[in-house]
Amino acid sequence: VLRASLSVAVGLVLADASIVVLALPEIYRDFDVSVSAVIWVLVAFNLVLAATAVPAAILARRIGPARVTAAGLLLFALGGLFCGLATSLTPLIAARCLQAVGGAAAVTGALELMPFAVGSERIAARTWATAGAIGAALGPAAGGLLTELVSWQSIFLVQVPAAVLVAIPLLPVVREESTARMRRAEIRRAGRPHLPANLALALVSGALAAALFLIVLLMIEGWRHSPIVAALAVSVMPIAALATGPLARTVSDPRARAAAGAILVAGGLAGLGLLPRALVVATFPSQILVGAGLTLVLSALTETALEGRAPQAIHGGWTIAARHAGVVAGLLLLTPIFTADLVTERSAAEQAGTAALLDADLPATFKIDLAQRLGDRLAAERGKVPVIGPAFDPLPSDPSERAHALALQATLQDQLDRAATHAFSNSFLIAAGFGLAALLPIVLARRRDVAL
Amino acid sequence: MRPRTLVLAAIIASATLVAVSVALGGATYEPKPVADPCQPRPWRSPGNLDEVAQQLTLSTLDGAACELHVSRETVVLALGTPEGRSKFANDPRLSEALRAGLLRAVDDAERAGAIPGIVADGLRQAIESLPADQLVAAARNAGGLFDQLSGSLGPLGGLLP
Repeated sequence: VLRASLSVAVGLVLADASIVVLALPEIYRDFDVSVSAVIWVLVAFNLVLAATAVPAAILARRIGPARVTAAGLLLFALGGLFCGLATSLTPLIAARCLQAVGGAAAVTGALELMPFAVGSERIAARTWATAGAIGAALGPAAGGLLTELVSWQSIFLVQVPAAVLVAIPLLPVVREESTARMRRAEIRRAGRPHLPANLALALVSGALAAALFLIVLLMIEGWRHSPIVAALAVSVMPIAALATGPLARTVSDPRARAAAGAILVAGGLAGLGLLPRALVVATFPSQILVGAGLTLVLSALTETALEGRAPQAIHGGWTIAARHAGVVAGLLLLTPIFTADLVTERSAAEQAGTAALLDADLPATFKIDLAQRLGDRLAAERGKVPVIGPAFDPLPSDPSERAHALALQATLQDQLDRAATHAFSNSFLIAAGFGLAALLPIVLARRRDVAL
Repeated sequence: MRPRTLVLAAIIASATLVAVSVALGGATYEPKPVADPCQPRPWRSPGNLDEVAQQLTLSTLDGAACELHVSRETVVLALGTPEGRSKFANDPRLSEALRAGLLRAVDDAERAGAIPGIVADGLRQAIESLPADQLVAAARNAGGLFDQLSGSLGPLGGLLP
């Protein structure tokens, strides 16, 4: 029970780093803020998690991991409650920070407790790393389903009972810690963190953040799919991640798993940067590669960073700090790039759409009316990419003109799809570069015979 | 599975995905670039007055855009907003751009067989001798048309988030 409880706690917290991705478009429309502002719902959580992971691990060593894990889960639940009740962006971001502090305590404390639950530090490290990887992969799909079926607030509110329930099996251990009072004697100076593994974790996490965040924005904002369709579409990634688990266990060398995972993440992201059509199904091969790579690389690097290092909680704290600092760096670097590319592509779509309209073999009056209706639809959808079909209604009664109007509709839609897809290309390709860059510390560490 | 096999499989899978994406046009999947307004554009067979008027307008836009070193679509989008029209009206190159546009329209119409050569010659002489201020006044009088277009073509610019 303790093992399951700790695994769920780790998965729950690390899923939270990405769970709001599918809700971001809803949140920025609800609060009437920009993409650059709403991104802080993600950034703040990851930044605070990165900053507090190591101090939380030190605290776990000082006052007992079960206490810190249980308190962390309750703080995480309280933060979730405040997030769900937030009525504007600033309180939401503040509550996310509270969630992150609790999350850091829960995750690092869980790592310290895990060996007692599973019997060995090696198995504990693997269980902890796998739970985190699965949580990160499942987060967006779960968040998307909740957003579509209930509301974005429900994402946070369902975490409140979940975190409390997970904390309950820890209570006997907390009581044991209270009576034992032996933790203080075990405190010793932690060794140096494993730099190559943590650097590689930061780079690959930056790439994965881009994969999750950008693919969701592309589907919802660019291709105009609903959150539930996007949630189902991006569930290919966690399915691939879960399916790769047994394969990962057949390869004992973590260096090979880390290298293969980084290559797959980079390849998948490059595929997303070179999409040949604006079709959800066209993203599936890329998602399969990213999902498989995610399982291989995150668990291998985390195990490597923890192997033979004590105390586990503090080194686990370093891996959390590295992962989430990487996520923050990825989001902060790529957000301005893709927002600038959106402006460029908006201009290109504007020119291409105008050209298509001017050159269409249709009466001038129909073209002017159509342009007016397109403008009206755009105004009604408050700047979102419009569904242009209704603007063509009513179609001309003349069969030839009707055919030309339908051809124009297809052309305009194609230009919009091209612009929306191309606006994300550079960001995906840069993220692929992060994935490839992660190979460098892996290879260098190998050359220097560091245990990676 | 052997470690080298895993790494090799990852390389092959990634390279295959990238190669297939590029082969299917992923590297060039972007909005269609607009045509160079200085290059001739084929006319559709003019079947009625509406089509002739549209083609003449488009040729005039091409000629003016070529003279201003911008795309035809840039001119149309600029004319779609009051700010754009004001900037366009105050451009010192306006009269020459209009003259170039009208001459281009006559050339294109003659090439397409929409007007006979003798009429085209007469029109060219008239356009070249037209004083600059009258050309600008004629353009400003066309403001009613652009008022109608205002808010119609312009909003196309906001189709992306």
